[in-house]
Amino acid sequence: MTGARRSVALATLLLVVAALPWVLARYQLSILTELFIFGLLALSLDLIMGYTGMVSFGHAAYFGLGAYGSALLLINFAVPVPVALLGGALLAGVVAVPVGYISTRATGIYFAMLTLAFAQLLYTIAFKWRDLTGGSDGIAGVPKTSLWWNGPSLASPTAYYYLVAVCLVLALGLCRGLVRSPFGRALQAIRENERKFAVLGQDPRRFKLAVFVIAAVFAGLAGALFAPFRGFASPEVMFWVLSGQALMMVIVGGIGTLVGPIVGAMAFLLIQEVLSSYTEAWMIFTGAIFVLMVIFLPGGLVGAFLTWMEGRKSLARGGA
Amino acid sequence: MSILIEQLLNAAALSALLFLVSVGLSLVFGILRVVNFAHGVFYMLGAYFSFTAVALSGRFWLSLVAVPVVVGLFGALLESSTLRFIYRRPPIYQLLLTFGIALILEEGVRLVYGPTAKPMDPPAALQGAISVAGITYPRYRLFLIGLGIVVALGIWLLLKRTRAGLVIRAVAQNSEMADCLGADVQRVRTLVFGFACALAGLGGVAAAPMTSAYLGMGISVIVDAFVVVVVGGLGSIGGSMAGSLIVGAAQTWGGFYFSETAMVIMYAVMGAILIFRPQGLFGEEE
Amino acid sequence: MKTNRREFVKAGLVGGIGIGLGFPAFLRRAYAAEPIKIGLPAALSGGYAQYGVQAKRACELYAKEVKARGGILGRPLEFIYEDTAGDPATAVRKAQKLVEKDGVKFLTGVALSSEALAVSAKCPEWKVIFMSTINGAGALTAKSWNRYFFRVNTSGPMGARAVSLYLIESPMKKFFALGSDYAWGRDSVGSFDKLITSAGKEIVGKDYPPVGTKDFASYVTKVRQSGAQGCYLALPGQDATIFFKQAYQFGLTREVKPIMEIVELENIKAVGDAMVGTIGGSRYPFTLDTPRNREFVKRFHETYNMYPDMFDGETYEGVDWLAQVIQKVGGDDVEKVIEAWEDSPYEGLEGSFFMRKCDHQAVQPGFVVEAVKDPKYPHPIPKIVATYPGDKVTPKCRTEDFA
Repeated sequence: MTGARRSVALATLLLVVAALPWVLARYQLSILTELFIFGLLALSLDLIMGYTGMVSFGHAAYFGLGAYGSALLLINFAVPVPVALLGGALLAGVVAVPVGYISTRATGIYFAMLTLAFAQLLYTIAFKWRDLTGGSDGIAGVPKTSLWWNGPSLASPTAYYYLVAVCLVLALGLCRGLVRSPFGRALQAIRENERKFAVLGQDPRRFKLAVFVIAAVFAGLAGALFAPFRGFASPEVMFWVLSGQALMMVIVGGIGTLVGPIVGAMAFLLIQEVLSSYTEAWMIFTGAIFVLMVIFLPGGLVGAFLTWMEGRKSLARGGA
Repeated sequence: MSILIEQLLNAAALSALLFLVSVGLSLVFGILRVVNFAHGVFYMLGAYFSFTAVALSGRFWLSLVAVPVVVGLFGALLESSTLRFIYRRPPIYQLLLTFGIALILEEGVRLVYGPTAKPMDPPAALQGAISVAGITYPRYRLFLIGLGIVVALGIWLLLKRTRAGLVIRAVAQNSEMADCLGADVQRVRTLVFGFACALAGLGGVAAAPMTSAYLGMGISVIVDAFVVVVVGGLGSIGGSMAGSLIVGAAQTWGGFYFSETAMVIMYAVMGAILIFRPQGLFGEEE
Repeated sequence: MKTNRREFVKAGLVGGIGIGLGFPAFLRRAYAAEPIKIGLPAALSGGYAQYGVQAKRACELYAKEVKARGGILGRPLEFIYEDTAGDPATAVRKAQKLVEKDGVKFLTGVALSSEALAVSAKCPEWKVIFMSTINGAGALTAKSWNRYFFRVNTSGPMGARAVSLYLIESPMKKFFALGSDYAWGRDSVGSFDKLITSAGKEIVGKDYPPVGTKDFASYVTKVRQSGAQGCYLALPGQDATIFFKQAYQFGLTREVKPIMEIVELENIKAVGDAMVGTIGGSRYPFTLDTPRNREFVKRFHETYNMYPDMFDGETYEGVDWLAQVIQKVGGDDVEKVIEAWEDSPYEGLEGSFFMRKCDHQAVQPGFVVEAVKDPKYPHPIPKIVATYPGDKVTPKCRTEDFA
């Protein structure tokens, strides 16, 4: 596809996203904003899962750190939201450095177990450190302040939606740039065969640590967006259940596609939202859908879609 | 002195329960190379089925034998209908599949049995406390200790002294070679998975009179089981025993002296072992 | 080509969102008169489901009764239930849906204090009333209070206060306190500690088992070794059940008197006879012997074939009071309801209530009960051993402290 057509398609997409607040009702816009936030979380997880092959069971911990970071800044200092976002994302990144350093010394299932253990540790700390984090009650009443000091307020759903959408689009752009760069190719090489990579003279651990921290920063950004949106932060946002849900979003959407996990987050949460209004057994259906996808559609929704498009393209060309 | 004895017995009883649950998890990993997230849910199924069995028949001993068999069959059925299709995929898929199954089963139990805990009492023969080594200690916990030892011996004998055990160990070491040599690898896998679920179910039956059957018991036990298996080493029975003893002791004494930080200590231990000896105390290098 | 696909997928998804969210609306039946809506973002699944289920039960019973009467002010009373699974983030999301999509003006039935704090903080923004019928956290009427919050139930500090007043009279001098390691457990033990030591009694030990502990053996050992005569317990539902079963097997419940901040029917039914002799507070004891309450218990038992637990009663009283205020005001205008509710009295199942203007805490009598066996009932029941008037058990305005 030519560069011009690509730009037009991209611009159209961005226009659609920008126009939605005029099309959707207030409640629907809220839901969409939340979907974008979790899409960002799933996107960050795909960086380490899809491109470097590292399965983390503790990714929600960085979401939680971001949420607490921004909540504390907003409640205690009433800073503008972008400052809180920065604070939350930085907190997540800073904690990810030692955790990542230790975790990346292991591989495969042991890496996964370590990430779970650390996430549980952080959860326990958040739970117990009542003076700072409010303990099991969490921090409530987190305000949506403004875009900058004495700047426009972000309290309205439309304004906050734009903030989240901008963050998501920027993050997606940054991640795409990252995976296409030499750094990104190195990551994929590590996923293919880590030993070979090491033999060729580079230290895979440095790359793994770097991408782990970057993913944590994006997850922290998502969490930092979440706290003022929902108005609170509590230990549950760090709990392994959220980590598990993030994994499901990535798989359902399409691992290794970057866009897929965003779609997956939206699909996953939408299914939950719609189903739970109809039946008390909604969790069974969600689980069943998930299990079926794992068996039959491992590439996720986007993966399956892309495969289908490839199939059509090659048919059009007159057979592979 | 009496505190020490009481704590020792407390730790032993807890370790026995942990062993029953984690040995199955370890077996499944060692032989199938699958981490079964749903393992805790089979433990819960054992407890709930036992509740139903006792409510219907009034006989605990019967349910102690029958319920694990039922749970094991159920597990084998699940394995052959879902897990077997994805063995060749990267391990994350098996992990996620078992995670999804755990979700479905947990919800199923909630729908069938309701959200409140199901109380159970130990059978009449094991009620109350007896005098042992100078203290009064509950009979049922002593029974648990005995059960743990018996099961441990049984599994060891099974794996090391029987032909079936030989085949299982062969499949664990090199499934392709074992396949060439005539072993029905898929059947071994199904059997081992079912057996592991049966063990978890047995754990549930044993635990129910002490803790009652409640939702979320699977989740809380699986975290502990993971720690045990990581500490002891995935795939090693001796490792599960050692791990259970260590974690049981840590929880019991940690709970006594530092209950505030007991959880943190447990994770610190697990983290330390993973860093310095990532394959666990008795596991094999990955 | 990739970007085009992405656009397609995203556009399709947006369409899907629109349909998915709008769909249920098509299925709603049109009501003749505009109903009065009360939303319940309750924990109907997960570990705390037993509380959400109680709230739902009470509301469904009340809805039936109101329907038979022809509604309130000629309008039907509609309860909308959503499941939060005990998670504060979900609670806020469901509450938001109830407010923005279903148009409810009143929220209640929230089970956990953490959920309540999160939802209550949003009420000034949404301009809806949040009525607590379950949540005990002292902070809800103190540090975290806002004028859209009303608490109809007995709070945690009030419960602990009633129990301590009773214990001051008792001959027991030494107590051990065991509280689950989270907000309610710690606060309850803290309240108890303050109140009992100021009366000259002694706390010989305190401990905080993590939430979800399944083996209390070492705690039982500790309590035994401490020489305490009574053991104060602030453990949530399932943890309390497990503790009692294990303590009973050790023989602890015969050596040391168990005292609980709340004695729940759910626990009594789950633990059974092993709990006989336990004393503690009760937010609403169904054994209360007033004509109004006997009537209610009979109706409840006929409908559900069981006896009402604490939050069944408290929630019923809450929605009944709210309905009365709405009736008095002549509509569901939130600001008018707030004004009318402040400093107003109510005759409930438990006795006389008064809604304080300063922190919207309903002043009500506090009860101390003992679990006893009674052949008329299939399980032990909470027998009332002491009743304290509201002004003795309610803390000073917007605080958690007592005079």
